Amino acid sequence: MNLKETLHNTEKFLAERMPVEKMNYASMVQKKEVPVHGLAWGYYMGGLAMFFFMVQIATGLMLLFYYQPTVSDAHASVEFITDQIPAGALVRNVHAWASSLMIGSVLIHLLTAFAMKAFEKPRELTWVTGVLLLGITFGFGFTGYLLPWHQIAVNATKIGLQTIEEIGGYLPGQMAEWPRLAKEIIQGEASVGQATLSRFFSLHVIILPLAIFGVLGFHLVSVQLHGMSKGIDAKPRRLEKFFPTFLLKDLRVWGIAFMVLFILGACLPFESLFAYPLFEPFDPKGSTPDGIKPEWYFFWVYYPLELLPLWVILVGSTLLAGVLLATPWIFKNTNRQSLRLIAIAAGIYLIIMTLFGENIYHLFKG
Amino acid sequence: MLDAFLFIGLPYIALIVAVIGCLRRARLSKFTMSARSSQFLEDRQLLWGSAPWHIGIIVVLLGHLLAFLLPNVWSGILTVPLAMFGIEALGIACSLLALAGLGTLIYRRLTSARLQAVTTPSDLLVVALLFMQISLGILSAIYFRYGSAWSTGTLVPYLWSLLLLQPDMAYVAGFPMLFKLHLIGAWLFILLLPFTRLMHILAVPFTYLWRAPQLVVWNTIRRRQHAVVATVRAESRREFIKGAAGVTGATGLLALGVSTKAVNFFKGASHDPEAESAMLEKKLQRLQLTAEERGYELERQRHALILVSPYAELDPLKGKYFIDYAMAPGLAFKGKDGMPIVMSAKCTHLGCTVSNTVDSNGRVMCPCHISYFDILTGIPNEGAPAKAPLAQIAWALVDAAGKVVASRTPGQAVTASLSPEVLAQCSLYITKPAKAGA
Amino acid sequence: MRTNPFITGFTALAALAFGGTAHAYPEFQKYVSQKSGRTVNCAMCHMHSDGPEGAAPGQIGHLTMGEQAELGRARAAFEPHANVKSPILNAFGNHIINSLGKKQFLELRVTPSELANKLPKDSDLDGDGITDVDEYLTGTHPLIKSDGLPWLLFKANLAANLGQIVLMLAATVLGLWGLHHLLHGFDVATRLQDNDEESG
Repeated sequence: MNLKETLHNTEKFLAERMPVEKMNYASMVQKKEVPVHGLAWGYYMGGLAMFFFMVQIATGLMLLFYYQPTVSDAHASVEFITDQIPAGALVRNVHAWASSLMIGSVLIHLLTAFAMKAFEKPRELTWVTGVLLLGITFGFGFTGYLLPWHQIAVNATKIGLQTIEEIGGYLPGQMAEWPRLAKEIIQGEASVGQATLSRFFSLHVIILPLAIFGVLGFHLVSVQLHGMSKGIDAKPRRLEKFFPTFLLKDLRVWGIAFMVLFILGACLPFESLFAYPLFEPFDPKGSTPDGIKPEWYFFWVYYPLELLPLWVILVGSTLLAGVLLATPWIFKNTNRQSLRLIAIAAGIYLIIMTLFGENIYHLFKG
Repeated sequence: MLDAFLFIGLPYIALIVAVIGCLRRARLSKFTMSARSSQFLEDRQLLWGSAPWHIGIIVVLLGHLLAFLLPNVWSGILTVPLAMFGIEALGIACSLLALAGLGTLIYRRLTSARLQAVTTPSDLLVVALLFMQISLGILSAIYFRYGSAWSTGTLVPYLWSLLLLQPDMAYVAGFPMLFKLHLIGAWLFILLLPFTRLMHILAVPFTYLWRAPQLVVWNTIRRRQHAVVATVRAESRREFIKGAAGVTGATGLLALGVSTKAVNFFKGASHDPEAESAMLEKKLQRLQLTAEERGYELERQRHALILVSPYAELDPLKGKYFIDYAMAPGLAFKGKDGMPIVMSAKCTHLGCTVSNTVDSNGRVMCPCHISYFDILTGIPNEGAPAKAPLAQIAWALVDAAGKVVASRTPGQAVTASLSPEVLAQCSLYITKPAKAGA
Repeated sequence: MRTNPFITGFTALAALAFGGTAHAYPEFQKYVSQKSGRTVNCAMCHMHSDGPEGAAPGQIGHLTMGEQAELGRARAAFEPHANVKSPILNAFGNHIINSLGKKQFLELRVTPSELANKLPKDSDLDGDGITDVDEYLTGTHPLIKSDGLPWLLFKANLAANLGQIVLMLAATVLGLWGLHHLLHGFDVATRLQDNDEESG
């Protein structure tokens, strides 16, 4: 193991993945071209996710002006924003809808990037940072959900964290306690309460944003330097200019997304999709309402968790995470047709489990 | 009498003459319907005169027309203060622009020798009348402010009354002379329409709006190169103008919609005294509840015994509610043998508080999903939504002197049995479980 | 707990049906859950989501002396329009008692569906565009503005906010149109500069 050789190889690897020589006006704007083909609609998905993220930052900061992260005041402060602050209901509703839309577009972005083999060399690091961003985004969803401190928020979080504790059943002897301790560290106390709220709040508002800015920054610079990947196996027959054609189309997509989001935010309170008892203030001394479940973007793992033994889910999730991170190397030689089929299958699974998960659960459990 | 002529007679005469005259001229001598452009003779000053004149007057006349055709929509828009200011400002700006352009045109018409050679008296009459009319209009707008708003209630009904052949000049009879002159001037223009160059108004080149830019192809190389450059420059200029217009318009609309709301969002809740005090009351209530809860928690942390009730107040059929060491609800009854029955009152199904009334079967009901729990064993009835029994809670009877005379921990028998006289002066307590916070 | 001699008779009626409480009426909840398919709880009419029994705030065991007197008055409001304010009922619950009177309300326990016909048709306490009667039948809360059948809420809010939405649509379309041309302008202008540079 020659150190000089290793260093040289590392440098070569990084230089190919981060082509800083392309950081000039000519490469990044003037000469950049985007392929036009049947899957070219996938090129817009990443930008769409970022658009929703920017909306989240804006609305989140506005909510931050009035939200109070204490167990006694959290629910009341959200009620205050909705009922008393002019346009508060709009800001809050947009924040709720945009979170679902962001996660939805992130998932579509994942599947289309996979199907287009966008992770092919030299874009491996873009992919890996993207998987990290996926995790951070789900983290945003999970931590943010607790903040209004209503029945479904607290109880769903409790159930979610309970899963960690149940891992202890598989560990021998003293180690059986470790998952419970891990859960208590995440929670900050024995059961979900003020300590949990405080740390979830700090995660949601500053720690995860700092993390995402760092990772997203790298991800975006990488995308800009490498340009759009070719997306199909054959050589693309048509290319359009990035500036202004593709950029304008991208902005048009953002415009439509904005209009849809605004109308949803102004006209459809997201709480109307659930039964009202789920949004009452959390009352540890009172009853738990029916229908507690996590947010829809967790259904793909929640219903299997209810149906199958825990170890199946654990093994499966670990495999999934490993495969996702190592995709550029595992699928290096796979052709795009196969990738497309895998992506479609994954997409079908996600859609079926999200829409019909509860029915499937009742089918098996009665 | 004069008023009747000026505001009913003159309008009808003007309209009839205008309609007949224009139709005649359009049919018999349509090539005279032009404004007889003099651009070939003098071109620089024409740009600075004609462009601002036409832009200004078209915008102003459009505003007049909109108010006339859609008065309700117009006044609806004007209820927004920002819209009213905007429209009035636009009107004044465009009329001044038109006046400045017209002034330039008049100067040009009078001082250019080439133009003087082709000027007719009707040109001079038209231009003078126009100048006066615009000036009267601007003065009216300044002295009788917000005309865009008051016109919908006075001028517009008057005009409609004329068109609907039910003329009513009461709407305008009371106006000041300055405005009446402007109105009379308008009728004069309509009267003169078929006889002057003003007829070019009726030959509006609408298709110009969507005519593709024309490309002139020159025959010499130098001209060709310049033409390419000029075309591209013109095209980019066009694009920039459209772009700036679009973005400015959007920003304007956005400002209209968002600005007040954004400011109010950060300003906070409105300070209605009643709402304010209701909110403070709600906050106080929540604080008191939190304080109460903390007090209970502290009590349960510190003390090995928590009072439930004096023994004498226990009843076999009506339970007493209390809060146990886990801060959950509990119930205490007097059993048939005189010993207390102390159990959790948190339904094992979804955690509702069960009722405290014992029915004829010795059970208490949970009202949420109807489960019946036997108070002796805590076991729910067959087929109830609740599956697990209500837990028993450890209790102790303490006499007046503070001595524990009887106690029971769940699963074990009662220690000690006592005479009724001793029991009567005891109080029921719950005892702290072995593992704190269980 | 105080008992009112006037309602012992009705307590007997209640005891017949459900052998126990005289103050919680789960028949209505059962009807609403069945009809609408949505989960509801006692908070639709009561102050506390678990009903009036218990010692939590909003329940009978937590009332002050003054509130207990109010409760007594409310329980005795057999005729409509008594204008009482029971401390264990929310605004909708008090609306029911004040519109129907306790006597008619208790009679409706055997036919909970009739409550929808007896309540005032056009009352909409939370102002969300859905009448209280409709919210009762569909299991959405009549006092929560953001709770209702999603499509009905969407229609009502769309109508109420139409001006703002049109303004937003106009601003977005205009802005995109403007940006489109602005970017094209940049593109053409930079091409021109390139041409100039190239042709010298």
